[in-house]
Amino acid sequence: MPSDCRSRYRRNFLLQALLLPLTLLACAAGVSNQPEPAAAAAASPIATMSSVDLGNGQRLFRVHCARCHGMQGNGGEGPSLRRAQLKHASDDESLFTVINEGIRGTGMPGTWAPNDDELWQIAGYVRSLGALPKQAMPGDPGAGALVYARSGCATCHISNGQGRGVGPELTEVGLRRNAEYLRRSLTNPDADAPMSSNQITGHINAFLTVRVVAADGEYEGLRIAEDDFSVQMRDISGAIRSFDKSKLLRYEKAFGHSLMPGYETTLSTTDADDLVSYLMNLKGTQ
Amino acid sequence: MNKPAHTDRLFFLIHHPTLLRILLLSALTAGAGTALAAASFEALLADEANGADWLSYSGGYRSERFSPLTQINPATVADLKVIWAYQMQPTDMPGAGLQETTPLVAGEVMYLSESPSSVTALDVHSGRLLWHFAPDISEEVLHIGFPKVNRGVALLNDTVFIATLDARLFALDAGTGAVRWQTSVADNAVGFSLTLAPLVVKNLVIIGMSGAEAGVRAFIDAYDAETGKRVWRTYTVPAPGEPGSESWQGDSWQTGGGSTWLTGSYDPDLDLLYWTTGNPAPDWNGDLRPGDNLFTCSLLALDPATGRLRWHFQYTPHDTHDWDANQIPVLIDGNVEGRARKLVALANRNAFYYLVDRENGEFVHASPYSRQTWAAGIDDTGRPILLPDKEPSEEGTLVWPSLQGATNWFSPSYNPDTGQFFVANRRMGAVYYKADAEYEPGTPFLGGGEQALSGDEAAGAIVALNAFNGEQQWEFVLQSPPWSGVMATAGGLVFGSSNEGYFFALNAASGEPLWRFNTGAHIRTNPMGFAVDGNQRVAITGGQTLFVFGLQ
Repeated sequence: MPSDCRSRYRRNFLLQALLLPLTLLACAAGVSNQPEPAAAAAASPIATMSSVDLGNGQRLFRVHCARCHGMQGNGGEGPSLRRAQLKHASDDESLFTVINEGIRGTGMPGTWAPNDDELWQIAGYVRSLGALPKQAMPGDPGAGALVYARSGCATCHISNGQGRGVGPELTEVGLRRNAEYLRRSLTNPDADAPMSSNQITGHINAFLTVRVVAADGEYEGLRIAEDDFSVQMRDISGAIRSFDKSKLLRYEKAFGHSLMPGYETTLSTTDADDLVSYLMNLKGTQ
Repeated sequence: MNKPAHTDRLFFLIHHPTLLRILLLSALTAGAGTALAAASFEALLADEANGADWLSYSGGYRSERFSPLTQINPATVADLKVIWAYQMQPTDMPGAGLQETTPLVAGEVMYLSESPSSVTALDVHSGRLLWHFAPDISEEVLHIGFPKVNRGVALLNDTVFIATLDARLFALDAGTGAVRWQTSVADNAVGFSLTLAPLVVKNLVIIGMSGAEAGVRAFIDAYDAETGKRVWRTYTVPAPGEPGSESWQGDSWQTGGGSTWLTGSYDPDLDLLYWTTGNPAPDWNGDLRPGDNLFTCSLLALDPATGRLRWHFQYTPHDTHDWDANQIPVLIDGNVEGRARKLVALANRNAFYYLVDRENGEFVHASPYSRQTWAAGIDDTGRPILLPDKEPSEEGTLVWPSLQGATNWFSPSYNPDTGQFFVANRRMGAVYYKADAEYEPGTPFLGGGEQALSGDEAAGAIVALNAFNGEQQWEFVLQSPPWSGVMATAGGLVFGSSNEGYFFALNAASGEPLWRFNTGAHIRTNPMGFAVDGNQRVAITGGQTLFVFGLQ
């Protein structure tokens, strides 16, 4: 199968050549915004996909994928695909393979009918779901690094191996979040409810604030895991705690309440612009 | 009060004449080392009362999934522990590996299926592998609308039957796994597939098809257990001129769906076979198939010798939400409104619990057992009273339950001693979309899709109902909508599982959790029970591992 795929993959370069004028138009119109194409992606048909291809990819996605991943790709029984980094598809060729063959030991089946061109169109559409439009930085990322250090962000976030892991790791946050989202996270952390997916629970609130009243005291933290009988949280000091739900006096999921403080009044406009720029620049370790 | 089907269940019910004879025969032949006799038809008839074995998918023809054993009970369950575990065989098949099997136990041997369509025989004492059969299935096999799963095998005499993903039926020697015969049931290239455990009735192996999401016209088949020759085929969607054909327009019947992908039940006194059917095709765009679309989303009563349809009851006419009626039809006897009745109880994917008279198909009762927003109720004829604006639409329509339903294929359980019906319940809504659908053989024929509500807005539960009026007695809430069934026991327990990996025992009287074990992986199977040397056993598969539990 893999060698067969590659041979068919090569045939797509002919198709690419034919579609090139369309592709240029599409890029100019901002339709295709593959973030930071890696070396492998440079040779991928997705890099030069037209809006017609992506439209067809969306149509095929709704037939083949939406049953589990949702009509908008937001996730359901299967994970959300609105993310730049997909766990089982680090590059476009592996995305093609996952769509074609499925993922062993999971509910993800291979896709049944499409030919290779159609599989690439689905892959292109899936990539477009997670793509972030290229944006100009509002400030100076170098200065933003100083703001990051000065504001104590590392007290709760790990970036490039440094800091304490309470909230989301920020090492690759520039791949996942745009300037608008990052600014909102700084000024109004309650505004967004990030979601995560896994095979067991499907699509759930990530970093959900939970509060418990146990016999020995009250605790607040970010939910790590929860099941029928127990809940595990990470508190603001980074300590991990596990509770037997049947022994709790009270258990509350605080939807819409982030443990992160808002920096709307503590950061100047320039500092906020610089910090957003610094975060936009965080794209993983090389 | 209900009239219990069988009371006074002892640990080994050797007062049962048929079973006594079987046990004596086993004792006589076991020492002599003669041929293995897995399960005669007489033994299948006595399966419900036989606590030592578990000879068919639902533990007997009434499909109660009830263990008559009492050794494990509320007073002893705290001591339940793993006796042995078995890790499923690795497979090179991409996308395979979700395990949904219910093992069978006949004497000293356990028979189970593994994804995608393999069969394994284990020693019940130790869990050691006796043999493994893996049919050669192409990686190109179509399984449109479901993962590469198999839900179990069937037994008759010294033969094991497995229905495969590529739509073949195999008969294997129970002692060695050698193929006795195989037959091609239908064309996988147009979307026909098999995932269910077959049902053996007399000398016939009865199977149903998957494939409505590919727009097949589904059927139920019966094969001669000795020869593999097909004896009858009954289509679930009538051809023009046949009864029910008035509920289809034009050629829509040819791609009408009505899959039959879950094991049925059998009443030996009435000599009637009960089988359920799935959604019409395409799933979410009903414009292409105006009418009630008989006999989709229905319960069928068939003559097992000929496959002739005696009567039908349609739960969801002209379904547009993929609410298959492919749930286990449980045969129960008792009083409803002062009248003794033989009934089929079914907790439907559409969120209503139904009772239908199993002699004539007459509608008896329906009541919601889970949140639903699509019907004002069920009328006196059993037809849903539809609420407006609940159809899938281009912009999306929010409806409870989700397309996976208020329950799904995983089994309910019925305790005939207490008249309780237990069901694993999915509490989840979804936004339903409608889209165009064009039929092309061997491709998805769906006409839309859904966006299910996210995890924290969804939940699950194990629910106990009074089987004769549908009233809820208790619920045990689950973190997420489950994909695993339940088994009640005469010891007063209900065993169930969760996505988060727990296998647990609830007090059947109250729903109180009494015992739990974290299997470490999601559970998508049904529990079952048996006994070894007088010791009660309970089995469940979590992830790739089958666990067998006991007190000692």
